[in-house]
Amino acid sequence: MKLTIGNLHVRDVVLGSENSFADGILTIDKEGAVEYLMAEDDHITSLDIVIARPGDDTRIVPVIETIEPRVRMDGRCLFPGVTGEVVPCGDGELKALKDCCVTVVGKEWGSFGDGVIDMGGEGAKHTEFSKLINICLVGDTDEEFERHEQQKKNHALRWAGHRFAEWLGQVAKDVEPDDTEVYEFDPILKREGARKDLPNVAIVLQPQSQMEALGYNDLLYGWDMNRFLPTFMSPTEVFDGAIISGSFMPASSKWATWQFQNFPTIKELFKYDGIEYNFVGVIMSNLNVALDQKERSAVMVRNMALNLGVDFAIVTEEGYGNPDTDYVRCQVILEDAGIKVVGIANESDGRDGFGQPLVVLDEKLKALVSCGNVGELIELPACKTVIGNLESLNRDGLSGSWGYDEVLGKSARDDGSIIMEDNNWFCGDCASGNSLKIMVDF
Amino acid sequence: MVKTIERAGFPIVHMCNLIPVATTVGANRMVPTISIPYPLGNPEDTPEEQYKLRYHRVGVALDALATEIEEQTVFPVKI
Amino acid sequence: MTKKVICYLNQFFGGIGGEDTADYEPSIQEGVAGPAAAINEGLVDAEVTHTIICGDNFMGSNTEEAIARILEMLDGKEMDLFIAGPAFQAGRYGVACGNICKAVKEKFGVEVMSSMHCENPGVEMFKKDVYIMDGANAAARMRKDVKNMVAFANKLLSGEALMGAAAEGYFPRGCRKEVFLEDKHENTAAYRGVQMLIKRIKGEPFQTELVIPEKDLVPIAEPVADLSKARIAIVTTGGIVPVDNPDRIQSASATRWGRYNIAGLDKLPNRWDGGHKVIHAGYDPAAGDNDPNITVPVDALRQYEKEGKIGKLDDYYYTTVGTGTTESEATRMASEMIPHFIEDGVDAVIMTST
Repeated sequence: MKLTIGNLHVRDVVLGSENSFADGILTIDKEGAVEYLMAEDDHITSLDIVIARPGDDTRIVPVIETIEPRVRMDGRCLFPGVTGEVVPCGDGELKALKDCCVTVVGKEWGSFGDGVIDMGGEGAKHTEFSKLINICLVGDTDEEFERHEQQKKNHALRWAGHRFAEWLGQVAKDVEPDDTEVYEFDPILKREGARKDLPNVAIVLQPQSQMEALGYNDLLYGWDMNRFLPTFMSPTEVFDGAIISGSFMPASSKWATWQFQNFPTIKELFKYDGIEYNFVGVIMSNLNVALDQKERSAVMVRNMALNLGVDFAIVTEEGYGNPDTDYVRCQVILEDAGIKVVGIANESDGRDGFGQPLVVLDEKLKALVSCGNVGELIELPACKTVIGNLESLNRDGLSGSWGYDEVLGKSARDDGSIIMEDNNWFCGDCASGNSLKIMVDF
Repeated sequence: MVKTIERAGFPIVHMCNLIPVATTVGANRMVPTISIPYPLGNPEDTPEEQYKLRYHRVGVALDALATEIEEQTVFPVKI
Repeated sequence: MTKKVICYLNQFFGGIGGEDTADYEPSIQEGVAGPAAAINEGLVDAEVTHTIICGDNFMGSNTEEAIARILEMLDGKEMDLFIAGPAFQAGRYGVACGNICKAVKEKFGVEVMSSMHCENPGVEMFKKDVYIMDGANAAARMRKDVKNMVAFANKLLSGEALMGAAAEGYFPRGCRKEVFLEDKHENTAAYRGVQMLIKRIKGEPFQTELVIPEKDLVPIAEPVADLSKARIAIVTTGGIVPVDNPDRIQSASATRWGRYNIAGLDKLPNRWDGGHKVIHAGYDPAAGDNDPNITVPVDALRQYEKEGKIGKLDDYYYTTVGTGTTESEATRMASEMIPHFIEDGVDAVIMTST
């Protein structure tokens, strides 16, 4: 499979009366966008588009999802099984609007898996999205059944985000890209020459799928990954919208759709493909609840790796806590099969840092990259502008904030300042690869 | 929690689904449960079936408390 | 303002005498003695105001009394930092330094530090509570150890951010914190992970970012001698509580726990009957709300009580929420339960987790 991504670098985004892209300036027909998205889903009761730029004194919360606006040159949908029919993806040509993202924000209501983005100040370093121009889609819906639930599917708003990214991407269709990325994933049984003598490397992804109820988990070609068994995939499918993020995982551990589209660790693996190793692709696994489910996925990953001839692997998980059992088990079963592993994940060391980093530890874990501690406490001053609703931090059961604590008070204070756990930063631990955090023993 | 209680001299049996977690946490006597949200009774089964399973596994746990062991031990269950 | 430091030395380094004076009872003197002089010289904007001297044997055999007497001597004295040792590889001295540092920190809330060789048993015992500098094994290298201690002492006193155990030269305390690296590609997790993989492929040495510690197991408790006479208590981390959650136990990262009466109940009534419900945020509560006995098996245990398999089901069940709860909080909560077990004559515990 060969996937070509033509990048158009967006210098600024403005709201106007028609869509256009010229000289790095993306103009969005705001009224047209709102009209289109509300017509697509009558559950949406209000919708607004607000631009937040890097450096702005702006706090966005509750952030539900981020997506990179793109267009497929052959007219196929961006997210098969989500924004269109289930069609193949992973090959062909795409154009992508870089340096910006569609950011889906709850106008009033948040849920367990939603997070915070600070565009400027001390808080900006906590998410990679503060470096992008956030095209915020701020909305509310009539999904009353989950209004006061801690776990929300956020279906209407998430789907609006994906549709918006697709609608917006159309503007790139006839524009010459600034630069082009090409990812070639040759059929692995037909590879020749020197590559065959290199050790084989695969990456095992464990996206979030632990909600037994459907509608909250990551979707693969529109399929709920709770009802999924590990399979072999081309890395280009991951880049090309085969998988979208869910609504369940605590925000800092989440992999947003934008991160799947740009999966940094997979891009990094491509760099040394054919030089240091032979990259044989993605073993797509999942995260489970019950022990037998965990074991089944681990066994299938192991067997697939053995049958593909994998010698070395990277394993990475979208989560912490219970998912660590899947993460550790997968690494141990691979090591036991003679496949040497590097693991990439965040930790949960507690607020004081003295907690056990992963819920399962095994001395066979020899090579781990640690990219954050979900429990670290962060206190930050108010921002001038809030997009969304700060009160959701106190009220809606986000994973890293609270409405009452006898010592710390509430998370969002009346003066606009906040105190919360790292858990709440939207994709803050960037286990998909862009994390600049490292865990240090003190 | 298990370790603190055992260190104080109380035999303790840990009933949980994620045996690897219990092993890491340092439980010495372990009995598996069927899942995380419903450790001792699957809501899809009849109340009688649920009780039968619970009665069995709690029985195994009680026997575990009265069993001499040399190392971390997972006590097998039948249903 | 000049900050105040108080030092602790044993009889030998305090200049009292050798092994024959190891029973020397604690004393305090103004100013410095022994290595405290060199420490004092190296301090920036701080001075050693007092030095405490205590014989290693006295501290070893009368630990509680020695600590109490020293804490009394320190009471009311200005102090920003407490430094004990360096203790090198001297085991009794190392443990003494650890004991007094820990006590001083607990009572006065000031930073405490020491220095020991890695094989000093005091390191394992106290590294969690005390900054212990990675020191030499013999006093011949005193100068170097004192230099390291002073550098770190100055840093602690200045309030400057620490760079981590390895960078500062103390033994890791089991505490892990996030550090933000400079924003460049070579610092990303993706780069770090793939480079680690390439090193594994080439068989080159690599450094994991999370060293897995050796498992710390507790001695296996003796089994119950006679179940039919035993009183069994249930503890759960599954977050089952009476419907009104009277102790306001948190649904995640719990710091509170509860103890609720079940005397005479054949089973635990559910939330719809005004009984017990799930407050745990980490799993779907539906099943537990309908039948809390699936997590707190009162019904099965009551039956075993009736059948005489067990002597008695304890009149209380103990509960908290296990998700996101730190180890130290869990340990504290468990220690708070233990006096109740003892008072009620509990013989053994069934713990259920979700």
